[in-house]
Amino acid sequence: MQAVVGYHRPESLEEALSLLNRVSPRSVVLAGGTSLNAAELPEPVEMIDLQAIGLDGIRTDGMVVEIGAMVRLFELTAHQAVPELVRLLARREAPSTFRNAATIGGTIGTGDPDSELLAGCLVYEGQVTVARAGGVVENVALAGLLNDRSKLEGSIITALRIDADGIGAAERTGRTPSDSSIVAAIGRQAPTGGIRLALTGMASTPILVEPAEVAALNPPGDFRGSSEYRLHLARTLTRRVIQQLGG
Amino acid sequence: MEINLTINGDRRQIECSPHETLRQILRREGFFSVRFGAETGETGADAILLDGRLVSSEIMLAVQADGHAIETVEGLAPGRGLHPIQEAFVTVGAIQSGYSTPAMVLAAKALLDDNPDPTEAEVRDALTGILDRETGYLRPVEAILRAAAVLRGENVDPIESALVRPLTDVDGTADFGAAGPPLDLPLAALRVVPSPEVPETQVVGKPEVKVDALRLVKGNPAFVDDVEMRGMLYAKMLWSPHAHARIMRIDDSKARRLPGVRAVLHHENVARVRFASGGQSYPNPLPYDQVSFDNKVRHVGDRVAVVAADTLEIAAAAVRLIEVEYEVLAAVFDENEAMSDGAPVIHDEPDMEGAYDAARNIVHHIEADVGDVEAGFAEADHVFEQTLRVHQVQQVPIEPHIAIAWLDSDERLVVRTSTQVPFHVRRMLAPLLGLPVRQIRIIKPRIGGGFGVKQEMLIEDIVGHLALVTGRPVRLELTRHEEFVSSRTRHPQTITMKTGVNDDGKLVAQLMRTVGNTGPYGTHGLTVQMVSGLRGLSSYNCPNKRFDCDVVYTNIPVPGAYRGYGAPQALFALEAHLDDVAAALGMDVLEFKRMNWTKVGDPLDMAAELGEGAAEMKLIPVVASCGMEECVAQGQRAIGWHRRIDPDWRQPADRPHIRRGIGFAMCMHGSAISGLDMGGASIKINDDGSFNLLFGATDLGTGADTVLAQIAAEVLGTPVEDIVVYAADTDMTPFDVGAYASSTTYVSGMAVKKAAEEVRRQIAERAALLLDVSTPGDISLRDRQALAPDGRSVSLAEVALHSLHQDQQHQIMATASYVAPESPPPYAAQFAEIEVDIDTGQVTVVSLVMAVDCGVPINPLTSAGQVEGGMIQALGYGHCEEMVYDKAGRMVNARLGPYKIYRSDEVPHIEAYLVQTMEKSGPFGAKAIAEIPKDGVAPAIRNAIANATGARINNIPFTPERVWAALQSTR
Repeated sequence: MQAVVGYHRPESLEEALSLLNRVSPRSVVLAGGTSLNAAELPEPVEMIDLQAIGLDGIRTDGMVVEIGAMVRLFELTAHQAVPELVRLLARREAPSTFRNAATIGGTIGTGDPDSELLAGCLVYEGQVTVARAGGVVENVALAGLLNDRSKLEGSIITALRIDADGIGAAERTGRTPSDSSIVAAIGRQAPTGGIRLALTGMASTPILVEPAEVAALNPPGDFRGSSEYRLHLARTLTRRVIQQLGG
Repeated sequence: MEINLTINGDRRQIECSPHETLRQILRREGFFSVRFGAETGETGADAILLDGRLVSSEIMLAVQADGHAIETVEGLAPGRGLHPIQEAFVTVGAIQSGYSTPAMVLAAKALLDDNPDPTEAEVRDALTGILDRETGYLRPVEAILRAAAVLRGENVDPIESALVRPLTDVDGTADFGAAGPPLDLPLAALRVVPSPEVPETQVVGKPEVKVDALRLVKGNPAFVDDVEMRGMLYAKMLWSPHAHARIMRIDDSKARRLPGVRAVLHHENVARVRFASGGQSYPNPLPYDQVSFDNKVRHVGDRVAVVAADTLEIAAAAVRLIEVEYEVLAAVFDENEAMSDGAPVIHDEPDMEGAYDAARNIVHHIEADVGDVEAGFAEADHVFEQTLRVHQVQQVPIEPHIAIAWLDSDERLVVRTSTQVPFHVRRMLAPLLGLPVRQIRIIKPRIGGGFGVKQEMLIEDIVGHLALVTGRPVRLELTRHEEFVSSRTRHPQTITMKTGVNDDGKLVAQLMRTVGNTGPYGTHGLTVQMVSGLRGLSSYNCPNKRFDCDVVYTNIPVPGAYRGYGAPQALFALEAHLDDVAAALGMDVLEFKRMNWTKVGDPLDMAAELGEGAAEMKLIPVVASCGMEECVAQGQRAIGWHRRIDPDWRQPADRPHIRRGIGFAMCMHGSAISGLDMGGASIKINDDGSFNLLFGATDLGTGADTVLAQIAAEVLGTPVEDIVVYAADTDMTPFDVGAYASSTTYVSGMAVKKAAEEVRRQIAERAALLLDVSTPGDISLRDRQALAPDGRSVSLAEVALHSLHQDQQHQIMATASYVAPESPPPYAAQFAEIEVDIDTGQVTVVSLVMAVDCGVPINPLTSAGQVEGGMIQALGYGHCEEMVYDKAGRMVNARLGPYKIYRSDEVPHIEAYLVQTMEKSGPFGAKAIAEIPKDGVAPAIRNAIANATGARINNIPFTPERVWAALQSTR
């Protein structure tokens, strides 16, 4: 954290984008800070704090829930418009202290491969609103954004939209009940039919995957789970999720 | 930049830099309750309320909080007095070290402000952001529920022991299984199984409030870092990036030139004085294989250099400017490989001495025999053998190592340090710093957990050198990462158990062959492994026993002392092995173990061979008190032991991929080291009839200060509040070896008792004078009075005033010391209920029950806390904690999270039973309790997995992939 050499708290999105896109000094977006402030930053940066821009609020029209990027995870756990599974995954995502500070936008920006919350947002058809310099606003599929973080350079996530409906299910394996999962399978019975499936712990980010394609995955391994074991878990947990959803 | 913070209602304008954390700013503003636990925020010792919500102040920049409202515990009950939440924490025994108590109190406040009637699950969820290594979370949760009730205006019951009827008959035997269903007691009940042999006492045996509870629950300055010293310098270490290398060149010139740098030390400018860093009695066991700064590094994280500078930032920048050229050498990490031909030699320095065979990396070779094991194996009906391995874990105290050193006005060196061994540290520092002992003072304030990692002279020499060189106060605090790799850990071991047993189940021969991995420095390497031999071969009667052990150097981060000290390793192997033997013999495991376990009158033959103090005397101690039968009876009822033979319970029809099981482990430990551990105590009377009690014993949060005060209060006939304790200051208090070997209650407690008895005698003499009683021996002390046989009395205050001021003036005071001729073993029965997902290998621990015979628990509340917290810490050892390395010997999971310790919302159901026996050699019947809770959880879980699945796993931890692989090979 010695690398933080400047701090800004812009009051508009335009101002934030303008600061972020300066050629120098190097700037990064600061949301809750639970990841960024725990990281070892390789070079000096200035922080662009988004807390005063107004990216708050959870709104729904009954079909789609729009969640402001600076909505804290604890708000997600309690809001009735948010699908039940996503509320549950938001609670499990982090301990109380971190939940009270971490944001959904920051969670997307960090793209933790073990994030069950992101996996939940994937199966609820997550769409991310990304604002760029010059007033450009884009809607990007969450899956695409997680796979290619370069889309976020010089940009600010302003909101996440997810579907409001469809029953969800989750199965996970970890060392202990509250441990970060080694692999988790998150599924949703889409109202249009079929099952949307996302997996954690199988790639550098949570991924959407067709159930039939799970067996062909080749995940990287680590001390909590080798590649072979993770693949085994993915297949086992996927089977259970599908069974839970009546498939 | 300038920011505005409203702190506890008070608007402040504060100067800060963008990179500074909120925690740093709050501490600078004087809010010492906000504490450091980890640079990545997971411990929550740093948690505060921001706009009413609990957040980590460690991972929040101060500037982020600009314009917001902050609450710390200092704002809860300003001045004297306690908020009801604080009151509840104190009363319920929810405070051990107290390091994270302010954070927990704030978590409670935020929760209850929002939700006045939370469920237990909601309370646990609120606490998930605060990691506790000490309590198992049980009593903090209870405290919050109690506070909620109080705030709702409801009545709450006083805290009392819940007496549980004994299950053993008059002849001391119990019918395991006949006792009926588990008791229906509240979760946080204080379960005490009384013994009729234990006499009535006034203060001893009662759940007294801790003497330091107030300062801890209010977040008052109490810990090492809770001081401000003008001109203090900050030290930062340069550690080795290599597991094994020679330092060919160090160039510190750029570092020295950085403005604000005051000293840079390394092997070129620090005297090469050999020592062993383990905090132990004089003379420290050989070898002396360390120096303050060496020209060789022997593990990733080993010392290379240190910088002292005006700020932490400057020191860190200077560390990065030190240029070091290394000649990287081959490294070895496995204890068996390290002994083999061609392994790199870790201690090849010309001045190395005292190792058994340094060329083969063998530090010690230990052998101990009783009878003739080979003859035993030859005659036994059956011989069973298996090899098990126990791995490396870290103590993870929530407060990392921290020390501040300075020269006082007499230019004596003072070190304020988080240590378990202040007197050993003082003695060990002297030759390293070139100072006589009389020029050094060590002060131990409150400590945020130790568990053995602080039974070491770990960083005090560094701050000592720096204070002497700069003439200024110097502070060194390890980061959480450094606490993992650059402090101490548990010793990994490879253990082969071989047992000869007859058809009837009687043990004939036991062999334990251990290879202990002591990393690159011997520190506690000899004694930990000796305790392994002692504990691995003492639980059961057996005519032929052998312990054969090599302690080996490797390049892993350094093992040292960790609660249990060789017993958790040995008892994992022993109790797993014997569970397998019982199964092979087709015997019920409880009956098999009961047939063989030691009872009152049985000899502790291995203690004569391996006991550190008495070994020269070769006296064979005999068991004088043993509540093992009662412990098993209580434990098996509480866990529902009978279910383990029911196949429908083991394989529930509604959950086809789940298997359930229950396992048992027998535990036995020691109470201090006989003939070796010594403690001293001093008591003096004050004008109001209160007393100052001074001792060297070292409370790390266990409640030792309170237990010793209770012992004094019992003898002197006063309440505990009349005993003012001051401890662990080498200038002010008598000697004590320190907090290890479970010695404080048993040894230091006896010193306190003797000193109190002498003070009582002096009081009685004065009272006899005042009451005109001819025989002072007839005076008794009770309720702050000295009573004559005819009922007339005089108060202790009157006795004090008369003796201090009025006639034949004399300071009533006494000093006593004590070393124990024996080490009576506490016993315990550990039970575990688990579930295994046979498709994934995930083990879920459902319930842990430990019934402990620690003689008479002086304070059942603190004793229960030791058991509850110890079991959860031991759970980590068996279930989910491990230090993981890459091929170059760098730890890959030196962070809380990847290194997994249990948090509040996932702990199993835990129950502690305190089974009384009357141990006549201990103060008021006490034995030890501090370490035994670490001994049985891992094997009990292992045996439960065997019961559930048939898989008999010989290594820990029981992580999902390992269990899954074991299940695969069993099928």
